[in-house]
Amino acid sequence: MTETITIIIDGQDYQVPRGMNLVDAAKMHGVDIPVFCHHPKLEPVGMCRMCLVELGSLAVNRETGQPERDENGQPVVRWFPKLQTACTQEASPGMAVRTDSAAVAQARYNVLEFLLTSHPLDCPICDKGGECPLQELTMAYGPGQSRFIYDDKMHLAKQIPLGDLICLDRERCIQCARCIRFCDEIVGDEVLAFHERGRRLQIITISDPPFDTKFSGNTTDICPVGALTTVDFRFGARPWELDEVASICPHCPVGCNISASTRLDRDFGGRKMIKRIMPRQNEAVNEIWICDKGRFGHHHSRSEERLTQPMIRRDEEWVPITWETAYREIAAQLARHGRESGFLAGASLSNEDLWELRKLARLTHADCSLGVWPATMGGIEQVTQVGVGVGTRLQDLGPDSAILVIASDLDEEAPIWWLQVKQAADRGAKVVAANGRATKLDQYATVALRYPYGEAVAALNSFAVIARRSNAIDEAFVAARAEGFAEFDASLKGARVPKPYAEAAQALLGAKDLVVFVGGEGVTLAQHGELMQAAANLLILTGHAGRANNGLIPVWPGANMQGALDMGFGPQATHDLIAQRPAMWIIAEADPVAEDARMAEVLVGAEFVALATQFMTPTAEKAHVLLPVQSFAEREGTFTNGLRRVQRFYMAQTPLEGTLPAWKVFAHISSSMPGGAKPRIAPGLVMRDITQHVLRYAEMSYPNLAHVEPQFPLVGGEDMYYGGTAYSNHGGLGVQWATNAEKEKYSLAVRPVDVARPRLDGLAVVPVRLLYDREPLFAPSSIMHQRVPAPYVELNVRDAEALGIAEGDAVMLTADDVQMAAEARVNSHAPAGTVLVPQRLGATPIPATLVECVVQKMEG
Amino acid sequence: MPGAWLLADAKDPHRNGVLKTMTHILLRNRDIADIWQFDTYVANGGYDALKRAVNDLSPDEVIQIVSAANLRGRGGAGFPTGRKWSFIPKDAPVKYVTVNADESEPGTFKDRELLEKNPHQVIEGALIAAYAIQATAVYIYCRGEFWDLALALEERIEEARQANLAGEDILGSGWSCPVYVHLGAGAYICGEESALLNSVQGVLGQPRVRPPFPAQVGGGLYYAPTVVNNVETLANAPWIILNGADAYKAIGTPESPGPKIFCMSGHVERPGNYELPLGITFRELIYDQAGGIPNGKKLKGILPSGASGPVLRATEEVLDAPLTYESVAALGSTLGSASFILMDEDTDMVWAAAKMTHFFRHESCGKCTPCREGTYWLDTIYERILRGEGTARDLELLEKVPQQIMGLVLCALGDFACNPVLSTVRQFRDEYEQYIGLAEPVAAEA
Ligand SMILES: Cc1cc2nc3c(=O)[nH]c(=O)nc-3n(C[C@H](O)[C@H](O)[C@H](O)COP(=O)(O)O)c2cc1C
Ligand code: SF4
Ligand code: SF4
Ligand code: SF4
Ligand code: FES
Repeated sequence: MTETITIIIDGQDYQVPRGMNLVDAAKMHGVDIPVFCHHPKLEPVGMCRMCLVELGSLAVNRETGQPERDENGQPVVRWFPKLQTACTQEASPGMAVRTDSAAVAQARYNVLEFLLTSHPLDCPICDKGGECPLQELTMAYGPGQSRFIYDDKMHLAKQIPLGDLICLDRERCIQCARCIRFCDEIVGDEVLAFHERGRRLQIITISDPPFDTKFSGNTTDICPVGALTTVDFRFGARPWELDEVASICPHCPVGCNISASTRLDRDFGGRKMIKRIMPRQNEAVNEIWICDKGRFGHHHSRSEERLTQPMIRRDEEWVPITWETAYREIAAQLARHGRESGFLAGASLSNEDLWELRKLARLTHADCSLGVWPATMGGIEQVTQVGVGVGTRLQDLGPDSAILVIASDLDEEAPIWWLQVKQAADRGAKVVAANGRATKLDQYATVALRYPYGEAVAALNSFAVIARRSNAIDEAFVAARAEGFAEFDASLKGARVPKPYAEAAQALLGAKDLVVFVGGEGVTLAQHGELMQAAANLLILTGHAGRANNGLIPVWPGANMQGALDMGFGPQATHDLIAQRPAMWIIAEADPVAEDARMAEVLVGAEFVALATQFMTPTAEKAHVLLPVQSFAEREGTFTNGLRRVQRFYMAQTPLEGTLPAWKVFAHISSSMPGGAKPRIAPGLVMRDITQHVLRYAEMSYPNLAHVEPQFPLVGGEDMYYGGTAYSNHGGLGVQWATNAEKEKYSLAVRPVDVARPRLDGLAVVPVRLLYDREPLFAPSSIMHQRVPAPYVELNVRDAEALGIAEGDAVMLTADDVQMAAEARVNSHAPAGTVLVPQRLGATPIPATLVECVVQKMEG
Repeated sequence: MPGAWLLADAKDPHRNGVLKTMTHILLRNRDIADIWQFDTYVANGGYDALKRAVNDLSPDEVIQIVSAANLRGRGGAGFPTGRKWSFIPKDAPVKYVTVNADESEPGTFKDRELLEKNPHQVIEGALIAAYAIQATAVYIYCRGEFWDLALALEERIEEARQANLAGEDILGSGWSCPVYVHLGAGAYICGEESALLNSVQGVLGQPRVRPPFPAQVGGGLYYAPTVVNNVETLANAPWIILNGADAYKAIGTPESPGPKIFCMSGHVERPGNYELPLGITFRELIYDQAGGIPNGKKLKGILPSGASGPVLRATEEVLDAPLTYESVAALGSTLGSASFILMDEDTDMVWAAAKMTHFFRHESCGKCTPCREGTYWLDTIYERILRGEGTARDLELLEKVPQQIMGLVLCALGDFACNPVLSTVRQFRDEYEQYIGLAEPVAAEA
């Protein structure tokens, strides 16, 4: 792709990509140019002056165009008279650099001496101590002693809360601006700034609420000193005591690679405990960032509220039982109910859990339904066909790319994807943000498309119409691969396309790469299948399938919805189960009673409900047997992210006594059943079973998933290069399964979609997802509670006026089977005729998508 | 001071008879009292140069004339102005001229007189520059303390706009160029051109990494190609357009042509601004024009460019040297903005250097380590020395610390900060030694 050129570093030739930052190019070849302010993911600023080098270029004879040579035949280099900052140089042909001269060494020494003149002697108590670039570089290049008189040292405030999560120590700040630049450049949230000037230059937060961004924790990673610390970890441990364990964030479909820093801790009875969560580099997934939910949302794994004892309900009392008793009881119930049993799997189960649950279901009866929870999004067929290509890296999307985000508030549902889409837009990608309301992505979008809720399918289908009309169809691809084109094509004829839809479509057409994110906001399950097909139609029609950086990305709810679908669980089965009301249920890591008003009654009506859960949830209260299972932190397993990358997580924390991993529980129940096999002894062996039975997982053996390759930039190594930015990846990069589009033998189905719009009279409910909610895996992280709002509903000003409701009023929302109390927010954010209802802010279920509701002001 | 061209002793060929009879080119307010008024300015040939440029000359021709005149930037660096204008890419859709009216150098007060008393000439000069690069707007960046002046300037601009000399479709040429005034918040660093651009944009006034330079795409105001010129520089442009390059070069020396406003302050009999041709000598400026040193004292130190250039010891050699960019550089200092601060024989040079160091510590923007930390360190050393607690080690540090700053910083402020320190330590070492008690007080020079 990029041209390779030759530069000379310390007299030796090196091949580097043209235009690469000189510091990074040198590092690639093992030549260290020390830095403080430079960061490979940020624009250079040349502030700290640590990276000064001698810089020159090969002299070229004007007449001959040939490099000039001295009497010894050596190329002549013209050196700049002054040292230059390497971090502000781009590698260009003929560039010559000296990093090993006395002048360079002196300059580094000088800069370090200067930095230390105003730095406190905090190392013994500083959180960064042990992984601090200032320490490391001082040891390597700095003075052993200062000529500065210590009485002149500066004294500044040392505990300034920058918001509720991050603390600033002003004395330690070396004014590198990495934190500001991260927020401004990467995230686009202008929340930090410098205040004052000279040695008084200091970091302040300029947002209200302070440090208002979902990515604040990353600043503590890229801060090259201990000036920024998280409230979570501050003074929690010394880095050298910590064991890094590779893991995967359990909170959303991005599947960020994380590193759990663990140690044996007094606060946890001397057992191994997660002290903090750091990003782990995976350039194809989260690069080196994570959101604050991922960083701070690990407390559920040690919550006092965790269940640690299998229990059975006897006479409305919970009675402890042994695991053996539980297995036998459930096995007996399954044998009794046979095909009258329903299985419901949550989106945070591991693939191994899901596989064992599926095996148990199949052992019970071949016809048992395998439902997923939440059952709001479908479309595994379309993902199988045209899911985004293997090798996709969202960070590669740029000026040649187009990105459509439809029916999703990416910022709330998959923060790191949002970050990557925003950065792609910064690089020049065309972005269409299509939803029933405004979302944060709109400010970066080429076109922010508003459609009336209910019309998502029609909107997306019209993109295909426009593609057809503007000859943007990839004829060759369609001829070779598409199936059902004629009929589909006929359905497009004569379709009327409103102008905004046409404009949005035009923004996407013609790009080299096209990625379509499909969410489920304001879309019923039936519509969702159509929406996914409409996306597939567009991708196939325009030939944006079967290659990297092209295709469909579903914005699933939960960390492992993809895995659940891959293991044969599905949303339609859930709806069938609710309709059929089987006598027996096995539910795993899902809380349907808290989320769906019908479910309490359904479960009360069942004869036997077994629930594998970490917490005493509303669903648990309706169960008969409770199986206390382990969190992601306490065991091994795999999750499959929204880009279909199967990724391993490892055991980071001593499991709570009395708990077991869900896969083991299900395996034991199976082995208690007639015909059941002996349980596998390790999740790796369960995965081996999966590789043999689930075709798309054939390559997903644990060793394959643990495979790592060098990634650039080189972060997190022993040398603290770039600081404790992120941990280098030793746990595995994961493996993506290939879609049908990537395999020539499969044809790809296009078909007309049902664009019918549900009739909506009165106010319609649109459930929306918030990152910070009260779902069981997040609620115990009390450090985040300030960010979780009390239950509210959003109403359009016009609707509110008609109902006599004002901002802040207490209201009661009533739909068929739901009554929920909430605070009214009145604005123009909610389109007229709709009530936006955030999910899981309260203990009661909210209504389903697009049902009619009544909102009334509560008196008193 | 009317008739400032009338020099006592015209030894050099460049100070020919023509000059003797000439009046001011820049400080015309000294000759025509109400020239700040639009009508007076126009009645005295004001805006004729702009009309000439717009009606009769192509943008390139304007650049050629200014280049041929060898007008050099009066903001400090003396960079050839015509060359600066020629760097602007022709095809850029948006381009700016930014007038640097930050005038923050200690001892500099020439831009203020121009803007207050002869504002239309500055506006006209800026518009000529704008025409030459086909700018889409002009921004005049005034230091925060110039708020009253900025208000008046806006009225002058409005007068020009109503006469169709600024704003939409200037003189019916189809070229439009509004002129805006922007007030800073009072920071020395915002006189540095890239910090100035940041300040206009409303972000923190810190210098930018270069390249890209202001003239390049990505480096200028709002990242569009931009010319940044000093007020005085631009005030030369109308005269050059009207009188031609040769007439201009007849003033001053070939390398440093034209008139220059010299700001005289400190121990001087008649402080104030003096517009004189470049090439006159220090002696002529200080003694013949500004009346010499009060109370019959001897002159000890000269700061030719405010606090930012090295101090010169007032030797006979220095006093007889001509005031051109090259010759002052050859003496080891800089002509800079020609802000002369004179220090008589009683001046405590350590104290003076300490004052200037304190200034730079206060004004360092803090963006880069050596200047941020180094100016602080130097200042604390001076504080110690002035308290009588200095040691020989401190004197050594005063020589060493600047070497850790000079040439290693992001902008010239860091270099400036080293000048007063190094130049006084080297030339007035005995005074430092007195402070640190290493030597007995030496008798005043015989
Ligand atoms: C620290 C610093 C302060 C400066 N202050 C001023 C100033 O107040 N006025 C000015 O015209 N130029 C100032 N300059 C010079 C400008 O950066 C720039 O060179 C000048 O405005 C160019 O105009 P000219 O080419 O017309 O001289 C300063 C430079 C530095 C490094
Ligand atoms: S807080 Fe840290 S990252 Fe931010 S400027 Fe200071 S040292 Fe740099
Ligand atoms: S973006 Fe999603 S996967 Fe990544 S840290 Fe945040 S919640 Fe976890
Ligand atoms: S040299 Fe001084 S004023 Fe200039 S950028 Fe660096 S810190 Fe700021
Ligand atoms: S100036 Fe290059 S790393 Fe800071």
